[in-house]
Amino acid sequence: MYYSILHKTRFRYSAPVTESQTEVRMCPRNEGTQRLIEFRLTTAPFARINHYHDWLGNEVYHFDVAAAHRQLLIIAESIVQLTPPPPLPDRLDGAAWAMLDEIAAHGDFWDFLMPSHFIQTTPALLDLAREIGAERRSDPLTLLREINHSIAQTFAYAPQTTRVDSPIDEALLARKGVCQDFAHIMIALVRRIGIPCRYVSGYLFHRTEDHDRSEEDATHAWVEAYLPEVGWVGFDPTNDLIAGERHIRVAVGRDYADVPPTRGIYRGQATSQLEVGVKVVPTVVHIDETEVLPQITTASVQAELQQQ
Amino acid sequence: MPDATIPLVGQPPFEQYTLTGAYDEMFAPDGSVRPAYAELARRLSALSPEELQQRQRYADLTFLNQGITFTVYGNESGTERVFPYDLLPRIITADEWQQIERGLNQRIIALNHFLRDIYHDEQILRDGIIPRELIYSCRHYRREMRGLPVPRNVYTAIVGTDLVRLPDGQFVVLEDNLRVPSGVSYMLTNRAVMKRAFPRLFGAHGVRPIDHYGQALLATLRALAPDHRPEPTIALLTPGVFNSAYFEHTFLARQMGIELVEGRDLLAHDNVIYMRTTGGLRRVDVIYRRIDDDFLDPMVFRPDSVLGVPGLLNAYRAGNVVLANAIGTGVADDKAVYAYVPAIIRYYLGEEPILPNVPTYLCDRADERAYVLEHLDELVVKAVGESGGYDMLIGPHSTREQQAQFAERIRANPRNYIAQPTLQLSCAPCFIDGIIEPRHVDLRPFILFDGETTTIVPGGLTRVALRRGSLVVNSSQGGGSKDTWVLY
Repeated sequence: MYYSILHKTRFRYSAPVTESQTEVRMCPRNEGTQRLIEFRLTTAPFARINHYHDWLGNEVYHFDVAAAHRQLLIIAESIVQLTPPPPLPDRLDGAAWAMLDEIAAHGDFWDFLMPSHFIQTTPALLDLAREIGAERRSDPLTLLREINHSIAQTFAYAPQTTRVDSPIDEALLARKGVCQDFAHIMIALVRRIGIPCRYVSGYLFHRTEDHDRSEEDATHAWVEAYLPEVGWVGFDPTNDLIAGERHIRVAVGRDYADVPPTRGIYRGQATSQLEVGVKVVPTVVHIDETEVLPQITTASVQAELQQQ
Repeated sequence: MPDATIPLVGQPPFEQYTLTGAYDEMFAPDGSVRPAYAELARRLSALSPEELQQRQRYADLTFLNQGITFTVYGNESGTERVFPYDLLPRIITADEWQQIERGLNQRIIALNHFLRDIYHDEQILRDGIIPRELIYSCRHYRREMRGLPVPRNVYTAIVGTDLVRLPDGQFVVLEDNLRVPSGVSYMLTNRAVMKRAFPRLFGAHGVRPIDHYGQALLATLRALAPDHRPEPTIALLTPGVFNSAYFEHTFLARQMGIELVEGRDLLAHDNVIYMRTTGGLRRVDVIYRRIDDDFLDPMVFRPDSVLGVPGLLNAYRAGNVVLANAIGTGVADDKAVYAYVPAIIRYYLGEEPILPNVPTYLCDRADERAYVLEHLDELVVKAVGESGGYDMLIGPHSTREQQAQFAERIRANPRNYIAQPTLQLSCAPCFIDGIIEPRHVDLRPFILFDGETTTIVPGGLTRVALRRGSLVVNSSQGGGSKDTWVLY
């Protein structure tokens, strides 16, 4: 599947500001089953754009606008190709828990096992863990599917009830929230039982037949858990989905604090207002490789390799 | 107790002087004067108490008039104080100094290897020499520094290591201070005042000079400049007048002839750092920053910080500006990581540590924690990320209530605390209220490292615990200082 994404962000300031600095995490990741074909970032006022890889492997674009301005417009355009992730087994075998403990003891996944800015084990979280039985049992994959499902069942999707900086307790007590809250809650539950888990920010392509709860034309967030022999698997507790060909991954982090789409600072006595618009469409112009000479396909080369 | 038949201790002007279990810098255990102090003893015997008083008053006035002060935090009434100066020099022999110099040189090289490693290959973690969790759970470990190249691999270029001397005369390392060590201005002004208060005494000794520190620091900063900037502009970044070491910032900037700037004087534009000057923007290549990591760049660290420069880290990452010290050196300053420094030296250099560590109990380890909780009345407990004597328990001088408080804090957050035996810091003679009495002292030499050469000006800051029997030398906790002589 090919997608075109346009992500538009506008900041409006109540008074002119100067020397604004902005960091943008909107460039889709180029790894695994997702291929980044094109990414372009433009700003108004115009700015020279630099970029770097952060410690989590996310591509960060940044720029500054020195002159006085009353608004800032950021347009991120990307084209990505997604292939379906390899099918998951129905369940993992009984040794999986021991292997997870081995992974934890080794320390490589420390950052995704320990509390972080938004991921705290609060009494409200413990209540939820008891309620939905988020304790080690059966096998890790089955348990993760159940937790994913339970969060979708237990929490109402309610935009504008929480803010980007809300601690998980707000959503836990109100039993409602948005994708960011559900992702944080799932991460907190999953890390607690010793499975490495991280936050994913990105986009979800909405097909009408899917009846997704999350808002169309918005950014989305879900989680990835690390399982022995399977690797990172995406779970979307907002929509009770396993992340697949419709989940476009942009950035991964310990929680939202590591991967906000924009982070900025400016000089001036002004308040800022933020408006965000997103559109994800399947790219219609797709040329199949069989339509082009020479007459050979990826699949046939692969098949030949496997015979050797 | 001193024996009246033994020379000098007990004799004027040392009639109030007593030798304790601590190593005495001036007197051997039998009360005789150590050779390096012979001339000082002779001169002190010849001076009347009034003359000494007069010189002390002269010295105190000099400090006051020059505005050589520091700030004490958390004190409502009057926060700015003159740093108390003790008239009598502390003398270190050439042999003693050689040992210290070799030990510090070894340590700074090993610690720079260590910092490079944990922000790149993590070989020492893979090899299991240091537990990974210890590093990752350190508040001063900066994930932003992972994989980021640092010019000349110099993470910590400016260090002020705290040494103390144990009863057997051995110098040991108490803390490394790899972030933004302060005190060097006191070392330099103490010397200047000393030369005027005791010109003849000073002249009678072969004391190695320290006046070139400013030039050595400038040379180190220049050596770290980006290769494509042969004539680098260097600035000292201060948090401003309310910082405890503001005097030092102005002092050093003046000594080096570089700009003293605050965060608001700097600006990041297109990944380059500029300084606002009356003649317009001017590019800055090296920043000697005297601001903690947390406040350096509100885009990355504390978003509420107004002391730093938004965009600084991006310019740094792009190699357009150099920070001394680098970001994230505090991880090697963590008092729990400190316990591993001997292992770090062996690992990277294949050598035995020349200067030993103080034995350290990590409260994170169950067995050591149990021992610490049992012996709170004997041990010194410290928070791993603090400096300046804050959040610290000195067991023998604490109340039951304080011990109970610390026990609770240790149980609540064991990773945050370490404990060490209460050390008998060495004593040196001090002139206090008209009488010469022993007081506990430590020693903070200042080390510079540019990736190839280590420069340690011979001497350092000798800090004095002014209260009788006190072991706390921090200026924020009522400490003073004295001039430190290293002899040829």
